[in-house]
Amino acid sequence: MAKMTLEELRNLRESKKKEMTQRDDEGKSAQIIIGMGTCGIAAGAKDAFDAFLDELNSHNVTDTKITQTGCMGLCFSEPTVEVDVPGMPRVIYGNVDDKVARRIVKEHIIGKALVSDHIFDKPAADIIK
Amino acid sequence: MHATICDLITDLVQNSIEANAKEITLNVEETKTNLKVVIADNGKGMSAETLEKAKDPFWSDGLKHKHRKVGLGLPFLFQTSEMTGGNAQIESEESVGTTVAFNLDQTNVDLPMFGNFTTAMITLLTYGFDGNLKIERSVDSKSYTVSKQELQEALGDLNDLESLTLLKQFIETNEEEING
Ligand SMILES: Nc1ncnc2c1ncn2[C@@H]1O[C@H](COP(=O)(O)OP(=O)(O)O)[C@@H](O)[C@H]1O
Ligand SMILES: [Mg+2]
Repeated sequence: MAKMTLEELRNLRESKKKEMTQRDDEGKSAQIIIGMGTCGIAAGAKDAFDAFLDELNSHNVTDTKITQTGCMGLCFSEPTVEVDVPGMPRVIYGNVDDKVARRIVKEHIIGKALVSDHIFDKPAADIIK
Repeated sequence: MHATICDLITDLVQNSIEANAKEITLNVEETKTNLKVVIADNGKGMSAETLEKAKDPFWSDGLKHKHRKVGLGLPFLFQTSEMTGGNAQIESEESVGTTVAFNLDQTNVDLPMFGNFTTAMITLLTYGFDGNLKIERSVDSKSYTVSKQELQEALGDLNDLESLTLLKQFIETNEEEING
């Protein structure tokens, strides 16, 4: 692909915005926070990031935000990923590699079901509706 | 441990972010024989005493990660440059800022792999901090510069999927151009 300029970037962004139809759940997008501390990087957080980007795009789940943060203090199960889908309990997953990242997109974000075998931390059962 | 030079760069820029820098400049210049990296920030800086300690691999300020008292970024830099016959300097002044600069010999067989620059830059550009990051990048005689501010002006919120996807294409195509 030819080198992109800032001008092209701006135009592409504008046309994408127009393409997007208004959704009724507007403003309520899913959030993914990836723990990227030194330990997270070593453990492959970057692979997880690329996998999230790829899987979300291939399923057209455009109303999602991905943020990266430093070490979450859970080095032993890095990379850790916090997932916040409106209407669902906020969950932290541990040991998220490429495969797990893709499962989180398909099962949690699209299918609205937790990926139970990788949950590191979630609210106590009695506060889950 | 760090796998690549890009991991090292990521960690050093994260140090600047963690030092509350509002303006960070990252310069990465590659030639066939030399890799030069300069990271300058206007963060909280270090006292001479802290700077001395920061070079010790068994020291971290004890505030960042409560579980880990061992710093990895700076010691890894010194270890790598020593092992491969490069050089590294840190200059820092309290409440003014810090500049970390190093040169590594590209022909040294012990040099870690360079790694993926695009992914490293996306990590840093979308990291949750509200300062600016300016990237100056060159390979031989080809170069490009881009800043987080410019990218935000073009894309809006860098963290949403559409922006992230375009951001990745932008860095990737600019990298292809200078590496081609
Ligand atoms: N750019 C910087 N500005 C201010 N202080 C810094 C900077 N870089 C490093 N330091 C100090 O040096 C310490 C060691 O850094 P580092 O080796 O990367 O380990 P860590 O970031 O894990 O603590 C940091 O905890 C911090 O106190
Ligand atoms: Mg560090």
